[in-house]
Amino acid sequence: MTGLDYLWQALTPLNVLLALAGVVAGTVIGSLPGLTATMAVAVLVPITFSMEPASALILMGAIYTGAIYGGAYAAILLNTPGTPSAIATTFDGYPMAKRGDGDLAITLACVSSVVGGLIGAAFLLGLAPPLAEVALAFGPVEYFWLAVFGLTLISALSEGNLLKGLIGACFGLLLACIGVAEISADIRFTFGSQVLLGGIETVSALIGLYCIPVMIDLVATPDRHLKVTQQPRGFRLKEALAISWLGKFNLIRSSVIGTLVGILPGAGGSIAGLVAYSEARRSSKRSAFFGKGEPEGVQATESANNATVGGGFIPTLVLGIPGTPPDAVILGALLIQGVRTGPSLFTENGAIVYTFIYGLILATVLMLPAGLVIGRYAYKSIITVPKAILVPTVAFMTMIGTYAIRNSISDVVIMIVLGVVGWFLNRFGFSPSPIVLGLILGRIAEQGFVQAWTIGAATEDLTGMFFGRPISLVIILFTLISLFYPLIRKHWATTGGTANAG
Amino acid sequence: MQVESKSRSDLAGTVTAVVFILMACLALWDTTSMTDSDSYVFPRAIAAAMIVFCILLIAYNFIKRPADEAAGGTGSASTPRRVGLVAAMLGASLVMPWVGFLLSGFCAFGAIMLFAMYDPWTGRRRIVFPVAGLAIVLGFYTLFSKVLLVPLPVGVWFR
Amino acid sequence: MDILRKIGATTVVAAMSLAAIAMISGVPTAQAFPDKPVNYIIPFGPGGESDITARHQQSFFKEKFGQDLVIAYKPGGGGAVGWSQLNGMIGDGYTMMGINLPHIVVKPLQKDVGFKTEDITGVYMFHYTPDAIVVNASSDIKSLQDLVDYAKANPGKLTMSGSGKGTANHLAQVRFDKMAGVKTTYVAFKGTGKAVAALLGDQVKAEWGYTSVGAKHEGKVRMLAVAMEQRHPKFPDVPTFKELGFDLVSGAYRGIAVPKSTPEDVRVKLSEMIGEINADPEFRKRMENDGMALLDVGYKDLNAFVAEQAKAYEEAAREAGVIK
Repeated sequence: MTGLDYLWQALTPLNVLLALAGVVAGTVIGSLPGLTATMAVAVLVPITFSMEPASALILMGAIYTGAIYGGAYAAILLNTPGTPSAIATTFDGYPMAKRGDGDLAITLACVSSVVGGLIGAAFLLGLAPPLAEVALAFGPVEYFWLAVFGLTLISALSEGNLLKGLIGACFGLLLACIGVAEISADIRFTFGSQVLLGGIETVSALIGLYCIPVMIDLVATPDRHLKVTQQPRGFRLKEALAISWLGKFNLIRSSVIGTLVGILPGAGGSIAGLVAYSEARRSSKRSAFFGKGEPEGVQATESANNATVGGGFIPTLVLGIPGTPPDAVILGALLIQGVRTGPSLFTENGAIVYTFIYGLILATVLMLPAGLVIGRYAYKSIITVPKAILVPTVAFMTMIGTYAIRNSISDVVIMIVLGVVGWFLNRFGFSPSPIVLGLILGRIAEQGFVQAWTIGAATEDLTGMFFGRPISLVIILFTLISLFYPLIRKHWATTGGTANAG
Repeated sequence: MQVESKSRSDLAGTVTAVVFILMACLALWDTTSMTDSDSYVFPRAIAAAMIVFCILLIAYNFIKRPADEAAGGTGSASTPRRVGLVAAMLGASLVMPWVGFLLSGFCAFGAIMLFAMYDPWTGRRRIVFPVAGLAIVLGFYTLFSKVLLVPLPVGVWFR
Repeated sequence: MDILRKIGATTVVAAMSLAAIAMISGVPTAQAFPDKPVNYIIPFGPGGESDITARHQQSFFKEKFGQDLVIAYKPGGGGAVGWSQLNGMIGDGYTMMGINLPHIVVKPLQKDVGFKTEDITGVYMFHYTPDAIVVNASSDIKSLQDLVDYAKANPGKLTMSGSGKGTANHLAQVRFDKMAGVKTTYVAFKGTGKAVAALLGDQVKAEWGYTSVGAKHEGKVRMLAVAMEQRHPKFPDVPTFKELGFDLVSGAYRGIAVPKSTPEDVRVKLSEMIGEINADPEFRKRMENDGMALLDVGYKDLNAFVAEQAKAYEEAAREAGVIK
């Protein structure tokens, strides 16, 4: 282990306190839809001016990691992913909560997040400089294929009607184009409207498409929001640990996927959870239960998205290129303090980096008790609060949360309208997930495509650009496997006659 | 929406597809105002793909008698309450620039509480629920505007 | 009452855990203006260069004027969402917004974005980040001459990454190509970070970046020339374009604007205050260390300055096809 002597520096009472406070605050913030880690970290920047750089980093890192875990609450209990990285948590978490296993899902999410966070931090600790090179090896065309790979998930998500899934994805891809184009700076699809000028903000779209339909249906009947089983059952930690032990390969694989994909600046955070989910589903014996409340699905996304925290810090600290939006804020805070990032940070400024990494590990460990207690509290609140309070509270939260992302009322209006559109579409058989996938991956795909095309055309080698690069070919291979795997599986099932998955 | 419950002949899907085609055409028309090929290549390709998929869906719906697609069971669901929820949220966000965040938040909260109320208004609830609502709105308002320093709209009328 | 308590407690816990760490000691001093915190809106997301420079100002503002400078973000539309709402805000001197050139010139020329360049009441342009051509440290392009030679020998094949289109990077590329009589291919990325990543990963041959890229990635990149009047104090060995015979002085200029309704005396006062921060030697040192260049264009001279820059931008933007 490198820099073990810094472990004790990380364990000063102040740092332990900061890590705990950060994790608690982060978890609470992350659980409120619309309140993002980016925002929480940005609010803290001025306070960190007067702190030691390492302590400041620990605080911000703790908030960040807590917020990623906290996002699981809203995803599980309200079907509302607070960040793109929690989208896949809703697929199985919400069905689990619906059938009365919300407490188990939350505890499971907590255990998975801790495992994912620790594995991510371990990579950051041991392999950061070489792994940062991976981020550089990813050129525009790789991002393009990665986005395409993500889009193939649509085929898995829209069982029953692939056409509707594809149409939904196109709708999402078109929504992504609204506003000022991110690289060409052209103003598209606003039709002269100031409301649309800023484009569709991803998190507000997530809140609209996932949460508003739940609210609309919740208000229409007197039924309880979630099924409640007889007695309170404690944390159900034993049960969760048993499931985690059984799913240990899933946890480790998802965490490694989360770390590696998380290294990719910009795209990593949102895609990691989806990739881990689809891989878990593909390799699981219980793949038929995915999407219907399968604990393995929650494990996969929750471990992957917390692993992206460590993964995202790799390019941030080694290259000075932020992996995720919260990383960008943290990097900015470091720059202001006069800390220069780069490979030399690990050798010359080891005190800062290693103290921080150990602090991050400490925060992740502290997340287990803190997360269990807060999660239990969140679950109990959601199931005991009467509907006449729950619905307006959640509705109000979605509004203030959406507003706060960009301090924009237009975003709130867009969020509500998208919610209504999503509710209708869902009734007509167009589920929200392909739309959201299109919205998120559309931007990545478009940028990658345009840049790769520009470079390919300039060097007069378009074919080589799109089909001649090794990493691209691997991603294309994965895409094909993911597309045709259901067919292959079916083929095996009929010829072998052994597989008997529900 | 109440009409199509079971064994619907995906009419809604067909109609939606037509709407999406119109939307894609609108998008295609808008791309003609773009000068940079970087801006229009992608949206044009997507809009075209959307039209193709929609036509396929319409054709599919015509050719094949669709199997029973269970829509979300409507049962005795109340449409007025649904409309009320959306109207309250939308109304509050539209008047927010004028009346400010706090007031529109209180109004929306109160209105939605009424729409979501299924239990009888007993004397205790009459007091506890509004007070709880007040506390929640104020609590979040304080958290956002004072702690997280979010500049929530003040309202032109109250400047 | 159980419910009430729970909900109350949730918000209290949330507020407290944050407040506990967010405790900033605010001791207001008796002063005419400002006597309460000043809101400083950045029309971009957090973590960008506009944010970082504002953060640099933040601590000096507090030190000099005894009030907090509260930074809030209003991203969207490449800044246009914020600027189009600026004049609707309260003009009492407690609300100001960051402005960027060439954005405030180019955006309104593209389409109707809800504001015109002349609607914006700037009070001070305080710095600019000069454009610079950057190559990977391992590149065999050692000087600007090498680059021009390569571009001449391989028209269009020299790929250069840069941040966005219609930006300082892009317009500098267009202007430089014209001056040098070469044709290079500009590859737009979302933000400087991604443009640098493309350079470091050898996805492109060179980058139209900023001096701040050279500061942030010292040792990994080589700057060929900077678009300044004089050499940058942090990089005494890097020549200016002017020295090499290209009349190019450009960059991303940043300043501060206020709502139109702000009274004249407050505008002047704010302008003086920002100038005072700019004059602080420690502030200058920090900014220059980040690769930025300071600039002092006060309230009185601002319009003339913007108008002068606008001409060059408009011409380049038209040439680049960003505006019709």
